[in-house]
Amino acid sequence: MNAATETDRALVDRVAKGDRAAVRLLFMRHHARIYRFVARQTGSEMMADDIANEVFLELWKQAPSFEGRSEVSTWLLGIARFKALSMLRKKKEDWIDDDDAAQVPDSADTPEVVTMKEDKAAALRRFVDALPEEHRTVIDLAYYHGQSVTEIGEVLDIPVATVKTRMFYARKKLGEALKAAGYDRGWP
Amino acid sequence: MSAAEKMSRRDEMETLLPFYLNGSLEGAELEAVEEWLATDPAALAALGEAEAEFSGTAAANEAIRPPADALSRFARALDAQAGPARAPTGQSWLASLFGRVTAMPAGVAWAAAAALLALVLVQSFERPSGKGNDFEVAGAQDDLAKLPFALVKFKQDARMADIAAFLGQNGLKIAGGPTADGVFHLTIPAETSADYDRIVGLIAAQPFADAVIQGRKPVDGG
Repeated sequence: MNAATETDRALVDRVAKGDRAAVRLLFMRHHARIYRFVARQTGSEMMADDIANEVFLELWKQAPSFEGRSEVSTWLLGIARFKALSMLRKKKEDWIDDDDAAQVPDSADTPEVVTMKEDKAAALRRFVDALPEEHRTVIDLAYYHGQSVTEIGEVLDIPVATVKTRMFYARKKLGEALKAAGYDRGWP
Repeated sequence: MSAAEKMSRRDEMETLLPFYLNGSLEGAELEAVEEWLATDPAALAALGEAEAEFSGTAAANEAIRPPADALSRFARALDAQAGPARAPTGQSWLASLFGRVTAMPAGVAWAAAAALLALVLVQSFERPSGKGNDFEVAGAQDDLAKLPFALVKFKQDARMADIAAFLGQNGLKIAGGPTADGVFHLTIPAETSADYDRIVGLIAAQPFADAVIQGRKPVDGG
């Protein structure tokens, strides 16, 4: 092990023994990503703040039972996902309907006008944000959180095949949105 | 291969590209993507599109800024849940000494910093576990004790996201801390003393850095 980057697992072992400095180090390493993950799941930074805090308190409590079957980052994302869903259920907020969310956000502009106003990178970012939640989540987990197909399945508690299906449709929708905006990338 | 089969293969490859880019693909799927990239003229363009998605997704996520006081609020919540911290021993004394050193005129501070560094090393020698203290000393692991490091205090209004981004960009690692007074122990990825001085200078120049004390420097030619 490179001591300069004491592994997350080693830190969790220390947390399990009651080491508060270790949990603070894990917080420093992972909080921003957990916060962003929840903010994009719930659409609320206030909820993200509460839930991200709870995730690390949960880490403090559950560290002794962490078996190391998955990466610590995957484990934390799974806890965050569970807590976000629970909080959303409590608030009786429905998930965004796929068909509605697949559309480009409300705009009086035609696709051509929108295209004139922004470059492709900005358009792409807007289209990623506008993806249905279940599709945007796999995009976020793969591209931003660096998760593998299997790890995404663990975080979302879905089969590997479903992860791939969601990724396929997510990328397909991005391609279609780009094409509608005048950026034909040749697929789908 | 029929057109339908070819399309199906492309769909599969397009699905795997994000995982190829994030480095998590392995085995037969990795080989399949690499073979596709090497043989299909459309594949490199597809890779470029996936890279653009990668950048767009990163930008969309990083536009979300966590609150600057998240760590301090979490520390309070943790203390509330876990009970009062163990009675401070050398930690508070070390942290307060750090505070006094940083308040000194520069010339005096260098001498004091050397003394402080020696005390840190003594602590690490005497308490090799490094556990149970708020301040994580260099000797918590044998290898860590040999690495160049600096002691850094960040400003109270510093944004954690800014600090994390800076650390990541410069290969800096937090090896310990924060103390109750906010002192962190950073390992410095320097192989020469000139590298070390440059990196420490860079840290000190950041708007979020409150104070920096040099710790162990690499020995040139050693």
